[in-house]
Amino acid sequence: MTHEARITCAASRDSLASLLRFIEEACANAALGQEEAIAVRMSVEELCENIIKYGYAGREPGPLSIEFAGSDDQVVVAVEDRGRPFDPRQAPPPDLTSDWDRRPLGGLGWHLVHKLMDEVRYEPVAEGGNRVTLVKRRFATT
Amino acid sequence: MPMEVTAELLGHTTVVRVVGSVDGLTADTLTGALQSHVDEGRIRLVCDLSGVEYTSSAGLRALLGTLKAARQQGGDFRLAAVQPGVHRILELSGFTSILKLYGDVDTAVASFAE
Repeated sequence: MTHEARITCAASRDSLASLLRFIEEACANAALGQEEAIAVRMSVEELCENIIKYGYAGREPGPLSIEFAGSDDQVVVAVEDRGRPFDPRQAPPPDLTSDWDRRPLGGLGWHLVHKLMDEVRYEPVAEGGNRVTLVKRRFATT
Repeated sequence: MPMEVTAELLGHTTVVRVVGSVDGLTADTLTGALQSHVDEGRIRLVCDLSGVEYTSSAGLRALLGTLKAARQQGGDFRLAAVQPGVHRILELSGFTSILKLYGDVDTAVASFAE
């Protein structure tokens, strides 16, 4: 059985609560286990935070869409915006080893997404923007 | 899940208890609460995370910022009762090598006397 859901909001901080509630409910409706649901929720939060902070910087917030599709064997979540192009493969590597006083505040979001998801795919949107697709296989050990 | 932050003084150590999810909606509140203790000179801090099942990178920033602020003033910020899901995020983020973690609050508080 497939559970599908979609939401579109303005990519502003005021929308974050609605976006997180959406993904929590979608995970619950798809009967994800707690660990999988946390991984999906966290990855979506990291993507939404990045889009809200940087995607439309310097102009009015545009749309932020989340498409959720949960089946028996995997969950696929696509997060799309019309903001400035950003390929997550270009994200700088995180600093995981420096001493505490040299450790930067931030820069871990994409690292966590890659660690928590089984697949992360990126494609630019033809009319401008980005589409990141997250895949979490159910009962996998990622 | 909303988040609540409370604090109590145990000897010379301040124990900050967090209950709920630490995410982009709540991390600023946690940062402010922790920073207020440091600002007032309470730099021997223990964060009781027994009631936290979720933290995103926003929460990690709050923890690292407090660690830096406390240590720069000669104190420390130590974690107690970290739950498995949060522990995994700390490990993936390389935080277990810079933060001191203890199994429970009493052990974390006692560690300041060592």
